Amino acid sequence: MAARWSSENVVVEFRDAQATAMSVDCLGLHAVLSGRRFLYVVNLENPSEAPRKISRQSKWDVGTVQWNPHRAQSRVFAASSNQRVDLYTWKDGFGDVHASLQGHTRVISDLDWSWFEAEYLVSSSVDTYIYIWDTRDPRKPLVALSAVAGASQVKWNRKNQNVLASSHDGDVRIWDRRKPNTAVEYVAAHLSKIHGLDWHPDNEYILATSSQDNSVRFWDYRQPRKCLNILSCQVPVWKARYTPFSHGLVTVMVPQLRRENSLLLWSTLDLNSPVHAFVGHDDVVLEFQWRPQKEGSKDCQLVTWSRDQTLRIWRVDPQLQKLCANDTVEELLEGVALSMEPERTQSFQDLEPQQSTAPLAEDLHDPEQAALGSSGAPQTLQQEFSLVNLQIRNVNVEMDALNRSCVVSAHLGSHQVRLVVKFPAHYPNNAVPTFQFVSPTSIPSAMRTKIQKILTDTSLQKVKRNQNCLEPCVRQLMSCLESDMTQEDGPPASPYVLSNPVTPALPAFPRVTNTYGSYQDANIPFPRTSGARFCGTGCLVYFTRPNTMHRSVPASEPTPRSLSALSAYHSGVLTPMKMRTESQSTLRLYSGSPTRSEKDTVSISSFYYKERKSRRFKTKREGSDSSNRPIKLAGKVIIQEISCLLPVHRALGESYILNVSDIQDTCQKNAAAALVVGRRDVAKVWALASAATSQDLGPDPDPDIDTPWARHPFGRHLLETLLDHYSQMSDVQTLAMLCSVFRAQRPPDAPCGQQLPRSALLPHHSRYPSFTSSSLTSGSCSSTSDSVPVAPWNPATGRDSEHGGPWGESSPDDYRYGNQAYSDPREREREQHDMNKRLLDPTHVLQFDDFKKCYGEILHRWGLKEKRADVLKFTSCPPEPHKGIEFGVFCCHCRSQARGTQCEVCRRLTFQCAVCHVAVRGASNFCLSCGHGGHTSHMMDWFSRHDQCPAGCGCHCLQQSTY
Amino acid sequence: MVSVINTVDTSHEDMIHDAQMDYYGTRLATCSSDRTVKIFDVRNGGQILVADLRGHEGPVWQVAWAHPMYGNILASCSYDRKVIVWKEENGSWDKMYEYTGHESSVNSVCWGPYDFGLILACGSSDGAISLLTFTGEQQWDVKKISNAHTIGCNAVSWAPAVVPGSLVDQPSGQKPNYVKRFVSGGCDNLVKLWKEEDGQWKEDQKLEAHSDWVRDVGWAPSIGLPTSTIASCSQDGRVFIWTCEDPTGNTWTPKLLHKFADVVWHVSWSITGNILAVSGGDNKVTLWKESMDGQWACISDVSKGQGAVSSITDTQQSEQ
Repeated sequence: MAARWSSENVVVEFRDAQATAMSVDCLGLHAVLSGRRFLYVVNLENPSEAPRKISRQSKWDVGTVQWNPHRAQSRVFAASSNQRVDLYTWKDGFGDVHASLQGHTRVISDLDWSWFEAEYLVSSSVDTYIYIWDTRDPRKPLVALSAVAGASQVKWNRKNQNVLASSHDGDVRIWDRRKPNTAVEYVAAHLSKIHGLDWHPDNEYILATSSQDNSVRFWDYRQPRKCLNILSCQVPVWKARYTPFSHGLVTVMVPQLRRENSLLLWSTLDLNSPVHAFVGHDDVVLEFQWRPQKEGSKDCQLVTWSRDQTLRIWRVDPQLQKLCANDTVEELLEGVALSMEPERTQSFQDLEPQQSTAPLAEDLHDPEQAALGSSGAPQTLQQEFSLVNLQIRNVNVEMDALNRSCVVSAHLGSHQVRLVVKFPAHYPNNAVPTFQFVSPTSIPSAMRTKIQKILTDTSLQKVKRNQNCLEPCVRQLMSCLESDMTQEDGPPASPYVLSNPVTPALPAFPRVTNTYGSYQDANIPFPRTSGARFCGTGCLVYFTRPNTMHRSVPASEPTPRSLSALSAYHSGVLTPMKMRTESQSTLRLYSGSPTRSEKDTVSISSFYYKERKSRRFKTKREGSDSSNRPIKLAGKVIIQEISCLLPVHRALGESYILNVSDIQDTCQKNAAAALVVGRRDVAKVWALASAATSQDLGPDPDPDIDTPWARHPFGRHLLETLLDHYSQMSDVQTLAMLCSVFRAQRPPDAPCGQQLPRSALLPHHSRYPSFTSSSLTSGSCSSTSDSVPVAPWNPATGRDSEHGGPWGESSPDDYRYGNQAYSDPREREREQHDMNKRLLDPTHVLQFDDFKKCYGEILHRWGLKEKRADVLKFTSCPPEPHKGIEFGVFCCHCRSQARGTQCEVCRRLTFQCAVCHVAVRGASNFCLSCGHGGHTSHMMDWFSRHDQCPAGCGCHCLQQSTY
Repeated sequence: MVSVINTVDTSHEDMIHDAQMDYYGTRLATCSSDRTVKIFDVRNGGQILVADLRGHEGPVWQVAWAHPMYGNILASCSYDRKVIVWKEENGSWDKMYEYTGHESSVNSVCWGPYDFGLILACGSSDGAISLLTFTGEQQWDVKKISNAHTIGCNAVSWAPAVVPGSLVDQPSGQKPNYVKRFVSGGCDNLVKLWKEEDGQWKEDQKLEAHSDWVRDVGWAPSIGLPTSTIASCSQDGRVFIWTCEDPTGNTWTPKLLHKFADVVWHVSWSITGNILAVSGGDNKVTLWKESMDGQWACISDVSKGQGAVSSITDTQQSEQ
């Protein structure tokens, strides 16, 4: 599939035309555009010259307009207007109505001139009749075909003068005008309405139908039950018409609903992907017709008219025509195809009627091929050869499908390369081709080896997925050569650079695989165009498509899953800054700028219908301003405050306190805070907490005296129930606060009771300074002993332990080891009692820690770092290990190496202040050079007046320590 | 009261594919089909364009902010097969790292929990998932899970750093033994769970319920409860909530949140893990909340329909 920039020759805008239909005459000289007030006749030889106008007086739009296809009548065209057909004569630059055909009682849906009798015209209408007129007698129709159902299309057979086809909803009827009473054949072609009908140019029996059901189907009406082939599109197909050259088909998607404005050219021999996309129109293509060619010209020309009010003429050169014929594919069908060869040439010229069997036979082969491709089976080598796009500069590839090999010749600067690629029989099913350099390859052997390896790797990646690899390999080869060449100049081009392919792609034929939204992207998910994300703590960030962008798909149809669906929506121009009258050169210029993205001008936005104001009526008033105003493709991003939906409250985070010295007070103040934000439930919980932490309920140190309050139903059980409840509500704030408060509630028997100063109350203070005392550490050295399990000062139990120290009441370790380690049953009983008297179940300590950490994280996001530190003080787990510099010190008493403030050997504090000679425990600073130092305040004081070390060692500590 | 606090006009030239705020909610990053990533300062209702990051050569699908403890770092992934890590240094944003190890569009990027360092998971249409770990001094360690999802991987999402298994078993007093885990969704209609064991990534679980491509997965943040929760959404219009209460992490049970009429593209969890935002092809955003009895109910419809949220949205939208 290629969304190539087409060889668009001519773009002309007729802004005021507002034409609904268009037709090209049989000489290829004129095109008529039919608007409501005027018919415009455009000189196709010089389309930019002002068109001649024929005024008309009707309140109806022109439904269909058709030039007579016979040279003798080349000045005549018919235009339908509601129930009437007007016959115009165009002569010497002037035209007028010479006759009107009146017979239909409702709106006429289609017109078609006979290919055989120059005066015969057929018209179809929703009044259920199909009339054949002899235009020499406009009074009444010659033949009336009664169809019972209204017809949407009617077309004369191109090979049989008596046969016509008409479409009625999803059905096709074949008529013989000699038997007007009933159709000779019915084809139940589609499940939805047929929009387009076209007879095969060379085969009497074959026709193509395009339908709302997203498909084009090919029929031999002699076998009405079986369609010859199906072209599946992701979108309803408005028209599908055969090309004048062989095996081609052009499709246009449904206009009213769609925004895919490209015409696609297909080869009927391979319906897997279009051969070409005519990209350029930025509104719906209303009509397209082939311009008859002058003698001797090999190019075909496609004339298109779009709602963007431009007429475009596209050149289809023989090369492109050949892509539809697809010679190599036909080799597959050797036996059949050989005999057909001469006929094909004939049909190419479209000269005379021919035997119907041959093209039919070809078409009959189509389903086979379609099946081959659509089932995802790999292509055969022949297919690959025929489809490979090797339009690379300086490269020539000779392919020999018979011997399963090809020769790649390339020259780049002084290098010349000739590479023989041999394809094993199983290729591409996980079988790698071999690559061999042959003379006159001129690159060094090291390079050869390197390239060979790269090529093998590249091909391996492809064939592993049973994909073809010739094209990637050739491109890889060129990339390697090129990067080798340009190594002096700069970094090698990445092979994956997308918009900047390995070779500066030929403007008209950029690299196929790069096409955004092409069939290569079948496994890339369809992009999101709306989304919502919770961010921070209480925000919902979301974006949606702007209101002006409507899905061009009916609501019943789901959004496609894959990006490849976009290939049907090649809209041409990505950005809203449209150029309306670009010539070919400006078009190229434009496509090359501004992001040097000449290729993927297809964007996700192509999928959506852009509502443009004043499409038809306002233009006159507002002029060019409105239609040129950029259409907004990006919607706004909306940030919404949703914290009211969350169970946590920032206001509470700010006002909650954790004052361990007065738990009662803490609970009461927090209850009041909860009331302020309207959390009455939480206020009650704080009241309960206040009651449960009451001094009166403090457990007795002696296990024999009383059952601790924790064992009471209102003790631990009540707390657990509360925690369960708030867990279900995901109210991590309440959870963390409760856990902290109940953890802070110390057993009153502990020596470090509430009379002690606050710092001593927190057993973790000295152990986990990173949360609490990190603000105290200063200067280049700090004495904090993060995360190092030094034996803590723990007067509560006063026992020694070998496993990392008794962690207060906190640790499950304690719980487990406690049972094992102490042989004394009293010790054990007390241990048990210790557990029992706690309100928080000690076995869940880690979970409680998680609550606090999670809440700490939320506080952090709120920027409440001190509150966070307050909460995290109550975790039992150490924080993230300190990753910075740690200070090892030699104990000033026993000289053994110690870390932290206490020597593990002699259990004394490890260092002394150089000024006051008192042991240092709090914030301290040391010189990295001489190792002396002491209390931060003393050091500050000393060094404000001195340069040298207070210890008298002569060290210039301030200079030494700065780095 | 739910209220719009900011409406940012991104001035992207093409459709937006992702928008995400940083950790503190002060900055907004957006990415678009116009190949750019933009960063806005959105403090106090403002919208100051801080950076317009150009470097991708195709539509940019997704962005991800790293935890601020590593600096101001943003990752973006694109159709151009690249992942770019951007870093702000001295007020200017520059490429910190560019990863080109994928062979097809990279559809999703997600930073791991900060406990694991700077680690980025990337899911690509080539079927592979890459894990990029910053090892310091401009060095990135790359681990690649090839063929993680047949056809392609569409989404990745990290598990929060919680202690797996029984909470009691964990010896305290030392660094908890976190296991790196993440979830991915792909074109094979599967949701897969991955776990790092001895430095190697292994497929841990395969969750089957969707009947079409899985478009997004979201591992719910943990508030310390033993249940793990994952949301997944799919082309088939279904959103499933997967929960695992089993400490070993082996039994996941799906619960259908809702079947939407069109594809569901995105799921996002609130910080407390109890509200899920769902968005999809119907251009709507809905919020879902689990009630006390474990049922999921739609609490608002941000784009259309009822509720305060919608009315505000409509006015905002019509201004465009």
